[in-house]
Amino acid sequence: MRRALRAEWTKLRTVSSTAWLLLAAVTFTVAVSTLATASVDTSQCPTPTTCFEDTTKLSLTGVWLGQIAVVVLAVLAMTNEYDTGMIHTTLAANPQRGMVFVTKATVVTATVLAAATVGVLGSLLAARTILPGNGFTPANGYPPLSLADEPTLRAAVGTVLYLGLVALLSLGVGTAIRDTAGAITTVLTLLFVFPVIAAFVTDPQWHERLQKLAPMTAGLAIQATKGLDQLPIRPWAGLGVLAAYAGTAMLVGAALFKLRDA
Amino acid sequence: METTRTYRPAVPTARDSFGRLLLAEWTKLRSVRRWVLGLLAAAVLTIVISLLAAAGSGTDANQEPDFVVGPDGQPVVDDFHFVHQPLSGDGSVTARVRTQENSQQWAGAGVMLKESTVSGSPYAAIMVTPRHGVRLRSNFTTDLPGSADTVPRWLRLTRSGTSVTGYESADGVAWRKVGTVDLHGLPQSVEIGLFVSSPPEITIERQAGSTSVGGRPTSGTATFDHVQVEAARPQQPATWANEDVGRSPARGEATEAGGTFTVTGSGEIAPNPPPDDVVQISLFGAFVGLMAIVAVGVLFITSEYKRGMIRTTFAASPRRGRVLAAKAIVIGVATFAVGMVASVTAFLLAQPILRDNGFAPPAFPRPSLSEGPVLRAVVGTAAFLAVIAVFSLGAGALLRRSAGAISAVIALLLLPAIIATVLPLSAARWLMRVTPAGGFAIQRAKEPTEALVEPWTMIGPWTGFGVLCAYAAVTLALAFWLLRRRDA
Repeated sequence: MRRALRAEWTKLRTVSSTAWLLLAAVTFTVAVSTLATASVDTSQCPTPTTCFEDTTKLSLTGVWLGQIAVVVLAVLAMTNEYDTGMIHTTLAANPQRGMVFVTKATVVTATVLAAATVGVLGSLLAARTILPGNGFTPANGYPPLSLADEPTLRAAVGTVLYLGLVALLSLGVGTAIRDTAGAITTVLTLLFVFPVIAAFVTDPQWHERLQKLAPMTAGLAIQATKGLDQLPIRPWAGLGVLAAYAGTAMLVGAALFKLRDA
Repeated sequence: METTRTYRPAVPTARDSFGRLLLAEWTKLRSVRRWVLGLLAAAVLTIVISLLAAAGSGTDANQEPDFVVGPDGQPVVDDFHFVHQPLSGDGSVTARVRTQENSQQWAGAGVMLKESTVSGSPYAAIMVTPRHGVRLRSNFTTDLPGSADTVPRWLRLTRSGTSVTGYESADGVAWRKVGTVDLHGLPQSVEIGLFVSSPPEITIERQAGSTSVGGRPTSGTATFDHVQVEAARPQQPATWANEDVGRSPARGEATEAGGTFTVTGSGEIAPNPPPDDVVQISLFGAFVGLMAIVAVGVLFITSEYKRGMIRTTFAASPRRGRVLAAKAIVIGVATFAVGMVASVTAFLLAQPILRDNGFAPPAFPRPSLSEGPVLRAVVGTAAFLAVIAVFSLGAGALLRRSAGAISAVIALLLLPAIIATVLPLSAARWLMRVTPAGGFAIQRAKEPTEALVEPWTMIGPWTGFGVLCAYAAVTLALAFWLLRRRDA
């Protein structure tokens, strides 16, 4: 098992795209979070104290872009092996396909979780310095962002887990489809198309249903720290929806990985 | 001294003709089953998702209207304060607007001729505004600009048959004609007099992470003197009556003292269509269909790199720029054809569903493909998909890797539209102008207005499409340049 883990880690670490994608995941997350946070200030509200702005959620906006790098990284971890024919070597060296799949998932997820932690902490830190300048001061009812605050901690940890689950979903789809372009298109469609559709559908019942079932909107409910009773889905339940998608993709991927010829 | 000679391959020139190149690229496109399936999937997704969006949309705009019906059956708002007396047959009304309060930049004070005091009935009016000069308006759609002057201003309306002519003057002596409007089917007897309107001030507020647009009622006061009504045929001397027409947000009033009328009014006289765009809803599936288009557009070049086919391609046609041009034309035209079938089908099938869900006249006039904006939206959707295909091809040629190119194009196209929904309006508008996501605006048949917060309504249809085209052109130009410099 340790050797298998080490093999997967070596493969992931020595591909130049991995470092670039991890860097992209972190910088995109922090950059978009910073820009989004900087664009909002209390003067846009009726009065500074009635903004009801969810500053924690706002400061984590960058995950929307950062997750794309995670998707590409996780898909490539599997489809690259098929593209290059490396998969034959991998399976010759370790014929236990189940173990190959699990170790690959472990290594990819651990790497993504590490990068996600950096990205999330960077975003929160940037927001912590920007927010008071935009009127989100303790006087207006916005204490500085802090991980000691339970909802903020939940949002931060949840966002890291969200990116980990997105990686698992991508790995599962990548294993099932075995084609880089097809897998990336499928995962990005799954993530992005639902929220756009939801923005369009005017029927409130359908709107809520879409928000509950979409992997991205449901999963990101974990970021909410205000107005929890108005969310279409509870934070942890939302992350559960994404976990269900990821789990299904992993199961299908694992089954096909074991059954098919490489 | 040695002379250098350009190497020319011993291939007959006819083979290098652009027509051949197009044929070669077309053969590649149609003979890869995945790409053909990808294009078909784009069409099917566009149609199916459009129908789902139509089925999932509903409105009660006709059951609980916040509009009145105008002369052409269109939804309008018609609220103001009217000081009037009857006029039978031809005649005129003249008045000098002495003062006008700047209650809203489009506040109006002037003289009006209206079929009746019923809100939504036909009218012609000439007015001064605090910021937009003198305007002659009729039946909610005609708006003829006069001079840019403000109060004090003399104004006159003259009726002759069904045509009404508006005049303005600085001194009541030298009159300048602003224009003539025809009020089709105007009855013999009409109401004529003074009016004051003051549209609501649009307020944009952000609360709980989302932006809402509202209207704060305003109320304006104007004074008139030298008021004179003349009738071509002698009629009984009439007395002035005054009232709020429509549902003015604030009560108006009028008083007269020594020939000077002081009139306070509130409300707006304008078209008032509900915000939903039935044409855009019926073409909504393009959001999903484009995912398949992006994949095919990128793969059309990256798979040549992956399989080494690119070397055969360039050996057969060493002029690389022409290869890229041929690829762009083939993928662009093929996508346009597929997109056209998809958008026309989606539009025609979705409209009856939308009508059943409440998107019916008068709030939503039936859109027809013969109307300019509708045609622009339907054909524009196909063109939008075609430009996306070319953009994807450029990105593929630039990055030479399907993973990077597909995710970059999708991130640029879809993400801004999603992120914009949580940003303040100014940031969202900026995002729509600098990213190709603004291209979705081509799917709208209604004009962009201040009062909408959906990202793709913040930019004009052609502007948005132009930004997307610029992205495609720059990407293609960069790819063209790199293609000639890099080894294949």
